[in-house]
Amino acid sequence: MSVFLSQLSNGLNQSAVLLIATLGLLIIFGMMGVINMAHGQMIMIGGFCAFIFTKMFRAPFLLAVLLSFCFAAALGAAIELTVIKRLYEKPTETILATYAISVIITEGARMIWPLSQNVAMPLPGVLKLGTVSIPIYNIFMVAMAVVLLVMTVMLFKKTKIGRKISAITQNREMTECLGINTSAIDTFTFSYGAGLAGIAGCVLAPMVGVSYNMGSSYLTDSFLTVVLGGVQSMVGAALSSVLIGEGRTLLAGILNDTWGMILVYFAIIVLVRFRPEGLFAKERR
Amino acid sequence: MMRSVAARRSDRPKKVPVNRFIDLVLVVFLALFPLFAKTFQVEMMGRYIALSIFAVSLDLLWGYMGLLSLGHAVFFGIGGYMIGLCYQIQHGLPSFMTREKITQLPWFYLPLKNPALAVILGIAIAALMGALLGFFVFSSKIKGVFFTIITLALATMFYQFIITEQKYTNGFNGLQNIRRFAVGSGAPLTKRQYYYVILAVGVAVFLFCIWFTKSRVGKVAVSIRENEERLRYFGYKTSHYKILILTISCAMAGLAGALYAPATSSITPVDIGVSASTAVVVWIAVGGRGNLTGAVIGTLLINWAQSLLSDKFANVWQLILGVVLLLIIFFIPDGIIGQLVKLQKRCGKQTPHTEKVALQESSTAESEVLS
Repeated sequence: MSVFLSQLSNGLNQSAVLLIATLGLLIIFGMMGVINMAHGQMIMIGGFCAFIFTKMFRAPFLLAVLLSFCFAAALGAAIELTVIKRLYEKPTETILATYAISVIITEGARMIWPLSQNVAMPLPGVLKLGTVSIPIYNIFMVAMAVVLLVMTVMLFKKTKIGRKISAITQNREMTECLGINTSAIDTFTFSYGAGLAGIAGCVLAPMVGVSYNMGSSYLTDSFLTVVLGGVQSMVGAALSSVLIGEGRTLLAGILNDTWGMILVYFAIIVLVRFRPEGLFAKERR
Repeated sequence: MMRSVAARRSDRPKKVPVNRFIDLVLVVFLALFPLFAKTFQVEMMGRYIALSIFAVSLDLLWGYMGLLSLGHAVFFGIGGYMIGLCYQIQHGLPSFMTREKITQLPWFYLPLKNPALAVILGIAIAALMGALLGFFVFSSKIKGVFFTIITLALATMFYQFIITEQKYTNGFNGLQNIRRFAVGSGAPLTKRQYYYVILAVGVAVFLFCIWFTKSRVGKVAVSIRENEERLRYFGYKTSHYKILILTISCAMAGLAGALYAPATSSITPVDIGVSASTAVVVWIAVGGRGNLTGAVIGTLLINWAQSLLSDKFANVWQLILGVVLLLIIFFIPDGIIGQLVKLQKRCGKQTPHTEKVALQESSTAESEVLS
């Protein structure tokens, strides 16, 4: 029983990691329809920010989180303004361009830091609940995932700019007719998504270490999470990341990590085949 | 007078597109290549021709039908691994099996003993997997984007599968010492002989592709890329065509893998994962998609550049490639060969401008009538 419980808690941690890593892509791919192959590299940028600010400048960890958001968002805005803006409505070119960007960022990082770096655990210690022991940082991760999710939902539901973004996803021409600068909103949305990916890299850094290819493993995971949850639903992304995280951890306990991953991926592909709009989307697109 | 000449010209069979001449020059060049090149260069060129076959197979799917696969290296890997395993089990159990305490060769490896059978199996299994994938995906109205994501997931799955099943696939180390089709205890083909084998197969595949893209099915593929909905209204079962073309494309990728593995004498998980799949996409994008020549030219160009430059610019090579790709997307989105074909079309047209004006006038007149 205790084994099962500790697996559940591990699974919850995995789900939190997955949700944090996915949120940025949910905005960029789900809301804007941009297939961003550089998502992993945006995560990596956040990881390097964590390394630079906590190791070199001895900044507190939460400040590093904030700064990594700013840096990744600035990078995202730059990418959007220079590249993505010219490629809307061209999915193939977008894939190629974002792949090129991902290569450029990866190689740039590799030139500066060829070896992987470590970031100190900001919250060491373990919480003991009976027979189950949970690292404090895992609890922080789950809290972080919830905070980021709530923050994003609030941004979209309660603020003016969020409403504008929703309006654009529903009907771009009409929004433009109402005098809203859709182009500027696009840049904002993209850079917000990139910023979220930066936060993901920053909070993942103490767990997985920082290296130039730290983000690439999250690319497929994030895409599948977004697709399973339904491309325009925040809550769907949260639920699907819990499903995937728990499913993978429990299957990994029975078989091994890889087979857990393969079976879960396979299940997702089958589900998407029968419900292309995702499990939790309210309406058929 | 000019107009009537132009109109009559369009009734005649079209001019031969410029890329067919490039094809001819390329084939002659490749056939003469071993006469003046060193052996290691011949070996490399053989490898790149095998990769070109792979690129052409993806070009059928992506350039002609508009479905981008980010996991095409899976099918390439199936072909490569079949022939690789074949040479691993020629002399009893390979070391990676005995290490894992396997005493008996698994029954499903028995047919791989024969190299010819292994190649056929590699092609057949790749085709079968492609057909299953197509049947599964295309029978619903899934968008192209989802197909791309599903293939991406497949590539990740296959890569991890090969690495995990160490006792059957030698995991991360891959398979080495794949011999150039030595039959029984006979000597393998020399590097130059094998080069001509690859070239012959490559030319055959290429001619098949030219015929296929000109055939009715090929034309339907292009129509699917342009406007699938309308094709469905005409009563075409587009999903059947998609499955057929995906199967052919996967079979060709399997064949390319089976040719490639003996050329390098090894196949590793690096050759079959997401990174290998995206590399091919980049080659096609640089060469130009939807005209077959572009896939070959892009593959040969980038791979040669890589072999020449990666010694001098080992660290920067990937960076250069990324920048070049960005520039190509922005300035010549049709790729190198695609741009040439476009230029030829532009020179061939007599009076595109006047026709446009006439069209505009008629449409404005129409709108006036309607309002």
